Amino acid sequence: MPRKTKEAKEIEEEVKKKNTKKTATKKESAKKATPKAATAKKSTAKKATAKAENKSVAKKAPVKKVATKKSAAKKTTEKAVTKKAATKKASKKIDIIEYYDLPYRYNQTIVKVLAQTPTTLFIYWDISDEDRENYKKQFGDNFFETTKPVLKIFNDTMNYSFEVEINDFANSWYLHVNDAKCDYRIELGRRPIFSPSDIGGTDYVYISNSNEIEAPNDRILIDKAQNMVYFRNVKTNQVIGKSFADISLLRNMGKIYNIYDLYKELYGEEDLYNPSSNFYKGEL
Amino acid sequence: MQDKKGYVSFVLHAHLPFIHHPESDDYLEETWLFEAISETYIPLLLNFQKLVEEKVDFRITMSMTPPLLSMLDNKLLQRKYIKYLKKLIELSKKEIERTKYDERLNKLSHYYFERYSNDLHVFKDIYNCNIIQGFKHFQDIGVLEIITCGATHGYFPILYVNEKTVKAQIAVGVQTYERYFGKKPRGIWLPECGYVPEADKYLKEFGIDYIITESHGILYADPTPVYGTFAPIVSPEGVIAFGRDIESSRQVWSSINGYPGDFNYREFYRDIGYEADYEYIKPYIAHNGVRVHTGIKYYRITGKTEFKDYYNVQWAQDSAERQAGHFLDSRNSQIENISKYMSNPPLILCPYDAELYGHWWYEGPYWLYILFKKIYYDDCNFKLITPSEYIDKYPEMQVASPCRSSWGANGYSEVWLNQTNDYAHRHLHIAGDRMCELANLFPNAKGLKKKALNQCARELLLAQSSDWLFIITNGTMVDYAKKRIKDHIGRFTKLYYQIKDDKIDEEFLKDISKKDCVFPDIDYMLYY
Repeated sequence: MPRKTKEAKEIEEEVKKKNTKKTATKKESAKKATPKAATAKKSTAKKATAKAENKSVAKKAPVKKVATKKSAAKKTTEKAVTKKAATKKASKKIDIIEYYDLPYRYNQTIVKVLAQTPTTLFIYWDISDEDRENYKKQFGDNFFETTKPVLKIFNDTMNYSFEVEINDFANSWYLHVNDAKCDYRIELGRRPIFSPSDIGGTDYVYISNSNEIEAPNDRILIDKAQNMVYFRNVKTNQVIGKSFADISLLRNMGKIYNIYDLYKELYGEEDLYNPSSNFYKGEL
Repeated sequence: MQDKKGYVSFVLHAHLPFIHHPESDDYLEETWLFEAISETYIPLLLNFQKLVEEKVDFRITMSMTPPLLSMLDNKLLQRKYIKYLKKLIELSKKEIERTKYDERLNKLSHYYFERYSNDLHVFKDIYNCNIIQGFKHFQDIGVLEIITCGATHGYFPILYVNEKTVKAQIAVGVQTYERYFGKKPRGIWLPECGYVPEADKYLKEFGIDYIITESHGILYADPTPVYGTFAPIVSPEGVIAFGRDIESSRQVWSSINGYPGDFNYREFYRDIGYEADYEYIKPYIAHNGVRVHTGIKYYRITGKTEFKDYYNVQWAQDSAERQAGHFLDSRNSQIENISKYMSNPPLILCPYDAELYGHWWYEGPYWLYILFKKIYYDDCNFKLITPSEYIDKYPEMQVASPCRSSWGANGYSEVWLNQTNDYAHRHLHIAGDRMCELANLFPNAKGLKKKALNQCARELLLAQSSDWLFIITNGTMVDYAKKRIKDHIGRFTKLYYQIKDDKIDEEFLKDISKKDCVFPDIDYMLYY
């Protein structure tokens, strides 16, 4: 499931510049904070419709393309800023005009992995401009055109790895893995599209390594080979081991977990999870 | 009277994200707090008080999150709440006139007038505008155990790639608790019940004894807990975990046949804000004229029908009493079955969103009141207990690592990490890294720089609220949630450069410090 983003070049420096520009024009009339008021109204309208539609509230959030939205919104603010500069002595009250956008990228080489579920990993990455230049110096100016990005997935618990091909339009990826409760680590690299000779004869170029995570467990570990069960007295820190072969314990466990299995059987399809919070949920 | 064979522990999680807009009256999101005070927090306090007066020995546990405490303690929001109540009282007075044509309806108008007038009295005269005191009182007399939460409800399973950001969430959660309750919390409600073992050492560092987890946090633990969710476990690092009981949760929560769906209960969605004549209702809805909930609702759920009958307070109370009886019987037989197989008496843990009680399930607080009375007076085989009391009574527990889990849909991180909101995480991570960078570049700063660094920490924490990600996933109020992430990351980033360039804009700092005025005692050195 690749997630594509637009190749917009709004780097952070721009935001920085924009912010400085804004502070220069910080004096303005309190009443004229147009961009903010507009957003507020928009969101109140949303709430109203959301609650009115109540039970038919769509689960899917409108997935807007962040990049497109961003540039449009930015234009309006800049306009507002210029307008205000002309009337900056209109009011004594100081109010700071604020408008922010998230930077498109941070210009740093990074690979991060998170576990969305026990078997779905989410990975995001970026390569800094400086590193890009270095790769070009080392492997030729066309390095990024003649190679394609790949992710190597290392399962360090079961000691295997595999590779998926990704593309340069994405900056994040959802990835299925087969084994829950294992340690995973991701390596970002590049491979020649046509021939290793395009990049000086090498078949693989390492770019960066991610953090390591453990994917969550997704099952009762009842079959795990185990001889003892340990109990700790949290007041005295005394630990007592009881034999797992103890018949009464085994029998108890069967009973206790049977109840859980029974529920799973009975209500398997029904969502037993708490629908989390709360106010903005729109339905029970 | 039967012998007591087990325990039931109710844990209500009271939380709202920090919403404070001194710059405008147009943010309807602020009314979330006011609705929660009137429908959940005050009703809970009043019912606790009734139980105490009736000498019912009960126990309940509540997490009160730092943003909620900060808002309840905020003078501006207190004034706005009073204004909100006064408008509602004015509206219900008009309603008494308007509904004279129908006796049943008119009775309800009177009911709302009295109810909101009483809220105003309770809020102003009894609690002096600060209901935290009310909750503290019940903790001090021993019937309520209050626990803390992450500073801004940041979701640990995604934040922990930078562990210092998890540490700060815990540290500020504990500090805020101490500020309001004058002692250290023994327990924490992990935001969204999001558990990662990496947090254990910080929980221990800040003196936390126990956490609340989703059922599979215990059932999928390693090694398998022999008593399932009916006994707490202790992690190798020494954090005690209590897991949610599946059966009792289902009875309350199930969207198919959970208690709140009873036909006699108040219908949440039929509100005069949407139904009354537009010109008449206009002064009581949104400033821009959009129809919203007012809090005056005249109908009961009635059935799976568009036709709705008028709400009847007595009928609703009858249903609540019947259901409380059902809940009691179910726990009785559950404990009867389970206790045979356990060395210690089983514990049935029932954690819920506090706002379910009263806001969504209008009769919820009354149901709790009746249930607690029944548990005390009726023939039953269990007692109410708090997690702390259970630990003190039965300190021997199995050692196991809880499973990484949350209480969101499907039990892991999908709600807070999916294609609608995954764009946010890199910004939250980078801001976390930058906060650590600032602390290391400028340790023990003084004066203006220190102020700016502390504000950076506040902005980072506010950006990390799991609420924004949840709202985006949920698809309602999305613009507001996205704006909040942008605003806090934006303010953080701007300050980050100003601090590094040694060009701190004092006016700007003052302005955002006024807007984002959480955690006055925060120390950015937490990120050092």
